[in-house]
Amino acid sequence: MARSKADPKRHSLVWLQGLACGALAALVPSLAVMIGILLGPGLVMLVLDQEPTKPVARAVLLCGVATVVDPIRALWSAGHGLDASLALAGDLRVVGTAWSAAAAGWLLAELAPVVVRAVLEAGGLARAAQLRAARARLAEEWGLPDAEE
Amino acid sequence: MASPPESRVFAEQFAIELASPLHGAAGGLTAYAAADRQGGAPDLMAVAVPQRAPPRLRALQLLDGRQPGLLAPLGHGVGPAPQDEAGYYVVTPRPPGAALADRLRPWSEAALIEHVLRPVAHVLERMEAAGVTHRGIRLDNVFQARDGHPVVLGQAWATPPAMLQPALYEPPYSAMCLPAGRGEGTIADDVYALGALLLVLSLGEVPAVAQDDAAMLRRKIEVGSFHAIAGESRLPAAIADLARGMLAEDPDHRPTPALLLDPSAARGRRVAARPPRRAQRPFQLAGMAVWDTRTLAFAMAMQPEQGLQAMVSGTVTQWLRRGLGDAGMGSRLDEMMRHRAGEGSAERGADAFAVMRMIVLLDPLAPLCWRGIALWPDGLGSALAAAIGTDTNVMTRLDEIVATEAIASWATLRPDRCDHALLRMEARQHRALAQIRGPAGGLMRLAYTLCPLLPCGSPLVAARRVVGAADLPPALEAAAKVVDQDTKPVDAHIAAFLAARSERRLETETNGLVGNADENGVALARLRLLAQLQLRYYQRPLPALCGWVAAHCQPLVDSWQNRPRRAALEHRLKEVTAAGFLPPIVGLFEDAAARAEDAIGAQQAAAAVARIDAELAQIEAGGEERAVTARRIGQEIAAGAGLLALASMLAMAAFG
Repeated sequence: MARSKADPKRHSLVWLQGLACGALAALVPSLAVMIGILLGPGLVMLVLDQEPTKPVARAVLLCGVATVVDPIRALWSAGHGLDASLALAGDLRVVGTAWSAAAAGWLLAELAPVVVRAVLEAGGLARAAQLRAARARLAEEWGLPDAEE
Repeated sequence: MASPPESRVFAEQFAIELASPLHGAAGGLTAYAAADRQGGAPDLMAVAVPQRAPPRLRALQLLDGRQPGLLAPLGHGVGPAPQDEAGYYVVTPRPPGAALADRLRPWSEAALIEHVLRPVAHVLERMEAAGVTHRGIRLDNVFQARDGHPVVLGQAWATPPAMLQPALYEPPYSAMCLPAGRGEGTIADDVYALGALLLVLSLGEVPAVAQDDAAMLRRKIEVGSFHAIAGESRLPAAIADLARGMLAEDPDHRPTPALLLDPSAARGRRVAARPPRRAQRPFQLAGMAVWDTRTLAFAMAMQPEQGLQAMVSGTVTQWLRRGLGDAGMGSRLDEMMRHRAGEGSAERGADAFAVMRMIVLLDPLAPLCWRGIALWPDGLGSALAAAIGTDTNVMTRLDEIVATEAIASWATLRPDRCDHALLRMEARQHRALAQIRGPAGGLMRLAYTLCPLLPCGSPLVAARRVVGAADLPPALEAAAKVVDQDTKPVDAHIAAFLAARSERRLETETNGLVGNADENGVALARLRLLAQLQLRYYQRPLPALCGWVAAHCQPLVDSWQNRPRRAALEHRLKEVTAAGFLPPIVGLFEDAAARAEDAIGAQQAAAAVARIDAELAQIEAGGEERAVTARRIGQEIAAGAGLLALASMLAMAAFG
């Protein structure tokens, strides 16, 4: 459920995150550019996800971050210049991997609740059948009225 | 083993020939030729006891055996009857000849004294010594073998005392009573009937006025018994003197049987009875000319409402003072009316009480008069027996008499003429029995208690004349073979009959029928009653009755809640029923421990079902909750997978 009023603590965290991002862009612009491009889908999801805890964006970003570790190491080895950063960001294999991971994170965030719900419903149905059988047995033995349909 | 029912003993002793009816031998009752199987006496007759008219147990017990001049009872019991039913019979010797009514002619004075007065006085003397009365001396119930032979008194034991007596032969205070409520009376009442018989035989004809009992009664009240019967006829002086004394209105003024054995002494006996004060002009009450207190009391007894109105308006006391000149009586009645006004008339039977008291004050010889009916207290039982199911008005009045203990009040007002302490105690006992609620109490119970030979009036067994508790099981067994099985095997008649006849041995069981609103409780009480009846009185198989009873046990079977146990019970009931004994059937339903276990099990099952229903409802209503949970868990799984991937990549970067 969307919140009508933002939490003051969350405001401070967003402000800190913005400050961290600004500091990164100011101090290491090449790294910021590369991360911004590779984690683009995750950042987009942060905007689109209306849930307070941003569960989908969180999954997308975590999967994306996992694929950014190697490019950061490569950028750092290449002297962390803007050219190297753009070259890595332009590498279709690097970008494809990062964005595929983001897509996988999104897919997982969407499918996992469906699968869990199916498991829970199956459990409920099995328990209801077990209870109905026990009830019918008691009703027959003691002449109690049948359950209402 | 239970002793055989009395009916079997009777049947083994006497053979009743239904094909040989004896007309005119029993004074108006049906009689058949009978023989003693053991003694070989062939000259017997069996007098059929009418329905709702209990025979006289006291006379049957005290007069057992042949007696000269009297058709005394030799036995009584249940025997065969036409149309394959059963009848109750009193066996007596056959009359030696025709009834006097069959050849009525004027008798001479000598013949009357020698062949009628003396022989009958002998019989009455013996009966008085035995403590019984005859109460059946009348023209068609006195027999003579041949001319010149002494007469023989007929039977009078098969009906309540004097029930068949016309008003001609009864004292007016007995004739005005309900036919079945005349009571045992005293030997003086037999002397009165003998006096009336002497007059009729002397005249050689029955007076014309005697054709109408009401007219005869009124005539006796107005002019006295002797003048009512003899009229203006000329009679032998000795007979007239004897009859005048024998027909005295006050029983204490009549000669005793012993005195009648010496007619000259009896004739010379003079009783100084004060003649009743008579008014110059009559007072009209309820269409009757009232001349004295006796006729006034009679008119009030016959028309109590008009009598009370006349009393309340002051007309009666005014006439007593001015017309009759009896200011003392007028004052006593006034005082009684003031007492009634003080008590208030809202009390049940207040008006009837007032009229009853007035009648006793006006004529202390009168019987208990209550709202138009009259009876002697010892006739209450037979009056009830005759009225049950046939006369609602009389039943209502008898109910009031019992409920208000009117007999006790009546007795208290005439203490010198009755044992008022005994009557008061009996009235209380009657009321207590009548107040027992349910089928085992009420007037029916009272009637069966007061009339030990009154057969059970239930339509189920009426045709078999069940008189004792031991006769009921075989009668019910026979009924079970033909009756509609939906009919309940114990109706109100049977319950009241058993409560009265079982001498407290079945009291617990009959009390179980009372105040039990639960149908199962009544069914079980009924079952217990019949089982105890079989156990105590008839220990032989009764398969048809068991089947009938078992058909009514279904509610008891259904009261068990555990279905497998119920099925087992039904199976066991069939087995036990086939054996024909009721106590094991009771045992099936009286297992208290199993009952408690069944009840607890049913409660636990109901609680378990309630829990299951609640959980099922929770499952059905929990779809949305499960969806929320699934989404939360799914998202956590997705986040966890992402975190795991990140940790793996960091680990690979660090170590690899």
